[in-house]
Amino acid sequence: MSPPPTASALREQQAYVAAQAADARVNVELDTGDMTLNIGPQHPATHGTLRIACQLDGEQVISAEPLMGYMHRGYEKLCEVRTYPQCTTLINRIDWLGSFANEVPFILAAEQLMGVEAPPRAQWIRTILFELSRIANVSLFLGDMGVQVGALTPVFFAFRDRERVLNQIEEVTGGRFHPNFDRIGGLKDDIPRGWIAETHAVMAKMRGFCDEMEDLLMGNEIFQTRCRSVGVIPGDVALSYGLSGANLRASGVDWDLRRDANPGLAWDQVDWRVWTHPDGDSFARYWVRLQETREATKIVDQLLDGIPSGPIMAKVPRIIKVPAGEAYVSTENPLGEMGYYVVSKGGLGPFRVKIRTPSFSNISVVPWVMRGTYVPDIITILGSLYFILGDIDR
Amino acid sequence: MALVDKVKLPKPLSWLLNFGRARSLWVYQWGLACCAIEMGAAFGSPRYDVMRLGVIPFPASPRQADLVVISGTVTDKMAPVIRRLYEQMPEPKYVISMGSCANCGGPYWDSYSVTKGVDQVIPVDVYVPGCPPRPEALLEGIVLLQERIQREDMQERWRGEPIVVPPSTSSSTRVPAAPNASSTAPTSAGAPAVPAGSAQP
Amino acid sequence: MADDTGDDQADGAAAPGDEARDALAAELSELLGDAVVESHVEAGQNLWLRIDIEHWHAAMSALHDAGFAYFGFLSAVDWTDAPEGRYEDTEFDAAGVGEEDDEASSATAEETVRRGGGETRFQLLAQLHSPARHVAVLIKADVPEAASSDGSSAPASVPSIIDVFAGADWHEREAHEMFGLVFDGHPNLAHIYLPTEFEGHPLRKDFPLLARAVKPWPGVVDIEEIPPELEAQLEAEVMAEFEASGAGT
Repeated sequence: MSPPPTASALREQQAYVAAQAADARVNVELDTGDMTLNIGPQHPATHGTLRIACQLDGEQVISAEPLMGYMHRGYEKLCEVRTYPQCTTLINRIDWLGSFANEVPFILAAEQLMGVEAPPRAQWIRTILFELSRIANVSLFLGDMGVQVGALTPVFFAFRDRERVLNQIEEVTGGRFHPNFDRIGGLKDDIPRGWIAETHAVMAKMRGFCDEMEDLLMGNEIFQTRCRSVGVIPGDVALSYGLSGANLRASGVDWDLRRDANPGLAWDQVDWRVWTHPDGDSFARYWVRLQETREATKIVDQLLDGIPSGPIMAKVPRIIKVPAGEAYVSTENPLGEMGYYVVSKGGLGPFRVKIRTPSFSNISVVPWVMRGTYVPDIITILGSLYFILGDIDR
Repeated sequence: MALVDKVKLPKPLSWLLNFGRARSLWVYQWGLACCAIEMGAAFGSPRYDVMRLGVIPFPASPRQADLVVISGTVTDKMAPVIRRLYEQMPEPKYVISMGSCANCGGPYWDSYSVTKGVDQVIPVDVYVPGCPPRPEALLEGIVLLQERIQREDMQERWRGEPIVVPPSTSSSTRVPAAPNASSTAPTSAGAPAVPAGSAQP
Repeated sequence: MADDTGDDQADGAAAPGDEARDALAAELSELLGDAVVESHVEAGQNLWLRIDIEHWHAAMSALHDAGFAYFGFLSAVDWTDAPEGRYEDTEFDAAGVGEEDDEASSATAEETVRRGGGETRFQLLAQLHSPARHVAVLIKADVPEAASSDGSSAPASVPSIIDVFAGADWHEREAHEMFGLVFDGHPNLAHIYLPTEFEGHPLRKDFPLLARAVKPWPGVVDIEEIPPELEAQLEAEVMAEFEASGAGT
């Protein structure tokens, strides 16, 4: 049996009721209707020229509609008026953080049409460079996600360690950013002497970077509070929106094109695993990407030790003419599934190239996932979905 | 600064003011495409360390900036926005166009949606070539801009007359920070053209 | 290379069996009934299904229920010939190509070029993936042309599939913008990439690239034949330089 309320408790209760009534009155008086908040197209938090038009009710998002096209450069049309080797120059620039990975599916599609297969050594070096692009790409995300939630330090760590990977890519290809190194039938060049030992050292450093990020960010209470159960995307929604890559795996769907639909690269020669996370929130997406970066360093380490000897270029004519036909090849790029549907009519250049870019589909879930979230979470969700503007707008 | 546009400043005073302006450039980072990452590497990474040149990459708004770096592809949809934000910047203001796309359209020279150079929209002071330019090349571009600011006539600048700056004759006229930056810049990418007195469109 | 271990594994990944794709093609043909016009399997690569446009929506939802829950992309192809483009032999291109390349490309052009067929100008193209079976299917449908009100022919409208795959929303907007296809039931067929005042559909083959009309393609010089005597001379110079630098092994 509970004791009767004391006088002070009664007073408190009455004060509470009065405060509630006053709040309600204020809310009625301040009822100002919805507000439109326009983020972008140039805004420090949208890393790129993405514009988002939000309808707000107080602090809550009623609807958020990404408006894009500020970076639309017309790749699909431009590919139609270029030859195949000229196309790879352009394609490099779609996802500018992991450029080498962009070339691979296009080259593989052209090789499928031509019936050419690159020699094993070329396939292994391709896979190594592919994974290095992944590390260069995702390591920037690992730092940048801190900036999105207010932690400035990690991005400096990311830029510092990313330079090491870029150095390794540059040493082989001659380009920090846009290597344009892949050729139909193989690679432009072999790897330089001493590169394998250097890359092993860099991979050890990158694993250290991952540990640092784990300590610095993932163990941080503020980071967890900002990211946990923010922007939850269930697996079936992720599938129907065509989310791919770490965004899909963070929603618990165990699907990785490297393992499930390997188009002939050397991923099946090494021991690695696909990481998934059941939560589907922003924290899960960060967690999956961190594990994948670590996994990529292990893949590179194993591949470096087992590069087969042999030529790096198959026998292809000096002037590339691709026989008529259609092919679709997609690979698991740093951002997700990137695929090229190439239609050839038997000439020097493609008849039609449909470029399936991961960020376009990944960001198409934004109107769904933003509904009902709060304003500070907009940036967290955008950051955790991780897009590259060139990859959305093409 | 009513005095500046009425009276011809004595040389030492003008030198001092220009020295101060050149070494406290607040730069607004306009990252549009691939070049934005190289700009980020130049401004944000400890390896390149832009602040030793006196460039401060912090303003969150063009209203607080002296310099804007347009880095990346300018599309027809983006061009009006660039014009609008440029007009928000206070005078005197400077523009660096970074990368082939911002210079002339670059690899998208025949695209239906790309503006063939940001100089069709706003006047550009320094062009940095490359696709994308290395961070060292951007630093070189900033050093060249500082040289240019150093030799400016304040009176003309404040009146808004088109500026004609004599071209650089030798590297001995470089600002003290220059040898440091230019020694790290590769020769192939480290020669940005400086058009004297770029015209309004 | 000194670093090589020489571990040679030439055969690499075994291509997925054709039987699997053949069986899947048969299964899907049975599932979709007379909606399937044609199916095509390329060994170890892909499976194409060509679907009657009348059954587009029904077929897509049937595939969704059959486990193809992952929406890859939706786009279209314009099959008319373009005035510009490097996709077939122009006079210049043919001159630079050796004899041995010609037979491979031109002889079998007609029967292979349209995998999964296609008779009309516009063809819808979509890809669905089954995460459980790890296999993708490419779906095509011919879009007939209907006479519009002003007398010109335009592609007939296509049922929208955003109620089946929510992700198709933006893809359909893109196809509308790039090809001028109309999707019935789509709530917001607005421009997605281009400015609102932009006219025309860029990915239609008759859309001209004006910059190219003003200026010829500068890349032409790339494919110019180097005279054999000059090539030998250049090679000798390069080799001499290489040996002089002491870089040779």
